[in-house]
Amino acid sequence: MAAPGGSLAHRAGIFGLLALVLVGALAFVPGFAAATNLSNVVTQSAALGLVAIGQTFVIAGGLIDLSVGQLLGLSVVLTCALSEGRSDLLLPTLAAMVAMGVAVGVIHGALVNRLRIEPLILTFGTLSILQGLIFAYTDRSIGQAPVELVWLANGRLLGLPVAGVVLLAFAALAHLMLRHTCFGLRLLATGGDADSARRAGVDVGRVRLLAFVLSGVGATLAGLLIAGRLGTGYPNAGQGFELDAIVAAVLGGASLAGGRGTIVGTVAAVLLLGVISNVLNLLEVSAFVQIFAKGLIVVGAIVVTRVRSGPTWRATSASPTARIARGSGG
Amino acid sequence: MRAADTFGGRSARDLLSRWAIVGVLLVLYLLAIALSDAFLEPVYLGTILRQAAPVGIAAIGTTLVMILGCVDLSIGAIISFSAVLCAVLMAGDARHVPLALATTLAVGAAFGALNGLLVVFNRSSSFILTLGSALAIYGLTQIYSGGTARGMVAPGFREFFNHRIGDVLPVLAMALLGLGAGAEWLLRTTRFGRQIYLIGSNREAARLAGLPVAAVTLVCYVLSGLFAALGGVAVLARSGVSSTFTGRGFEFDALAAIVLGGTAFSGGRGTVVGTMAGTLVLFIAFNLVNILGFNYNLQLVLKGAIIVLASAAYARLGRDR
Repeated sequence: MAAPGGSLAHRAGIFGLLALVLVGALAFVPGFAAATNLSNVVTQSAALGLVAIGQTFVIAGGLIDLSVGQLLGLSVVLTCALSEGRSDLLLPTLAAMVAMGVAVGVIHGALVNRLRIEPLILTFGTLSILQGLIFAYTDRSIGQAPVELVWLANGRLLGLPVAGVVLLAFAALAHLMLRHTCFGLRLLATGGDADSARRAGVDVGRVRLLAFVLSGVGATLAGLLIAGRLGTGYPNAGQGFELDAIVAAVLGGASLAGGRGTIVGTVAAVLLLGVISNVLNLLEVSAFVQIFAKGLIVVGAIVVTRVRSGPTWRATSASPTARIARGSGG
Repeated sequence: MRAADTFGGRSARDLLSRWAIVGVLLVLYLLAIALSDAFLEPVYLGTILRQAAPVGIAAIGTTLVMILGCVDLSIGAIISFSAVLCAVLMAGDARHVPLALATTLAVGAAFGALNGLLVVFNRSSSFILTLGSALAIYGLTQIYSGGTARGMVAPGFREFFNHRIGDVLPVLAMALLGLGAGAEWLLRTTRFGRQIYLIGSNREAARLAGLPVAAVTLVCYVLSGLFAALGGVAVLARSGVSSTFTGRGFEFDALAAIVLGGTAFSGGRGTVVGTMAGTLVLFIAFNLVNILGFNYNLQLVLKGAIIVLASAAYARLGRDR
C-alpha cells in the first residue's frame, strides 16, 4: 500500500503551489504583506478550513459529504435565531449546534450502512432537504450572533486572529486523529479497500459513521464562525461551501477513491484558495472574473498536481473480469 | 457479464430494477389524479412536459456520460452560458436565428470536448474536473453578460417552441420526447451505444479488448455539452428571457433524474427512457406540491426525500446481483 499521503512529489505539489503563490503575492501585490491583510486571509479561511477538515475525513474513508454547505447555513440561521445575541444562551446554543452536527452525521452513516445508498447521492438528497428546511424556516436574515461569536470570528488574541488559532487547534487535533489513532488508521484502511479492512476485523460501518459525524460537526462549528462574522442568520450563508471544501481536500492530496488524505495538505489548500481570493480582491478584479479564475485554478491545480483517479476510473475490484484482466496484465 | 444483462434483461430482479421507475411514475401519476383533477387534462400534462424540457434534454447527454462511469457537473453552467449566448446572437432579429442556434450548439459541444479531453488525458476524477470547469464556465457567463440579462429573443422564436401541436403538446415537449427517443435508439442499436455500456461495465477490460475507450469517452462528453446547450436553448424558448442564473442547480436536478431512472454511479447500467421517467417523476412531484398549496420550499425537501428513497430502493434491488 502506498503511503497515506501519496508520493513525496505529489505531497510537495500543494505546498510548492502555496509557496509560489505566497512569494508572488508578497513580491508583486501591493498591500498583501500588511499584517492586517495577512491576518484577514487567515480569518476568512478559518470557516472553510473547519468544513474542509471534516470533508477530508469523509473523503479519506472513501465517502463524500455534499450536505455540509447547507448544514453550515442551517447552523448559522439557528445560532442567531436561538441565541438572539444573548451571551447567556451561547453555551446551550453551541451544544445544540454540535448535537445537530452529530445527528446529521449519524443519520448519514446509518443510511449508508443500512440501506447502502451511494454517499454522493444520499448527501445530495440531504443537501436539498436541509436547504428546503432553512428556507421553509426563514427566507431572510434573522436573529443576532452573541458578541463572543463575533470576537471568535473577527477578534485578535495577542495580535493573532482568534479564528486562525481555532483553525490551528482543530487542525492539530484532526491531524493527530487521522495519523496517530486507531480510528485514523481504520478510516484510511476502509477508504483504501473496505473488503480487506472488514476481513482484517475493522468495524467498517462504525468507522464510516464516525467520519460522517466529524464532517457534520465540522460544518456546524464553521457555522458558528460564519454567524460571528455576519452577525446575523443569513439563510444563504452556506451556499457553495461543500464544493470549496471538496476542492480543498482533493488539492490537499485526498483521493476521491478513498484511502488517502492529509489534514496538513487540506489546510494548505484552504490557505491557497484564501490567498488567491484575497489577491484578486486587492487587485480589484471583478467578482465575475474571480469566479472564472477560480474555476481555471481548480482545473489547473488538478492537472498540475495530477490528482489521482477517482473511483470512476478504477476497474471495479468486485468484478471478476477486472481481477482476471489485472492478473493477465501483470 | 453485466453488459450482456443490459441487453438481454435476463433476471426478473434486473427487469424489476430497470422498470421500477416507470412503476413509480405510474403510482405517482395515479396519486396526482386522486389529489387533483388538473392532472387529467391533456393541456396541463403538456405544460408539465414543457416545464421538464430543459432539465430533461440536458439529462439525456449526461446519462450517456454516467453509463460510461463518469459524471458531468458542468451542464448547469453550460445551460446558463448557452441561454445568454443564444439570446445575444439573436438580438431580436428572426434572420439571426439559424446562426445563433448553430453557434450556441457548437460552443456547447466545444465545452463538452474540453471536459472530455481533460478527463481522458489527465485521468483525474471527472467529478472534481467538471466541478472546476463548471466554475470557469459560470464565471465566463457572468463576464459575458455583465451579470444581468442581455440579448433579446427573436420574434416568433418563443411562439414557435410553445406552439401546441393539436392544441395539446407544445413543440418543446415534442423536442424532449424526440431527443430522448433518438438517444435511446443510439444506445440500444448502434455499436457506439454498446461500447458505452461495455466501457462503463469494466473500463480496463474494454481497453484490453481493444475498444476505443478514449474516443468514446470524448464523444460522450461532447454529446453531454451539446445536449446541455440544447437545454439552454429550451430554457430560453420557455421563458423568453436570458438570465445568468438560468441553469444554476440544473446539474443536480438532472443528476437526480438520472439516478431515479436507474443509472448507476458505477457505470455500465442505465437507460435514457429511465432518465425521462425520472425527470417526469421530479416535475410531477413539484407540481403536486404547488397544486396542494404547500410552501414552495417543501419542493426542495420533497426532492431530497425522493432521491434518498429511490436510491435506497435501487440499492436493495441491486444487492444480490
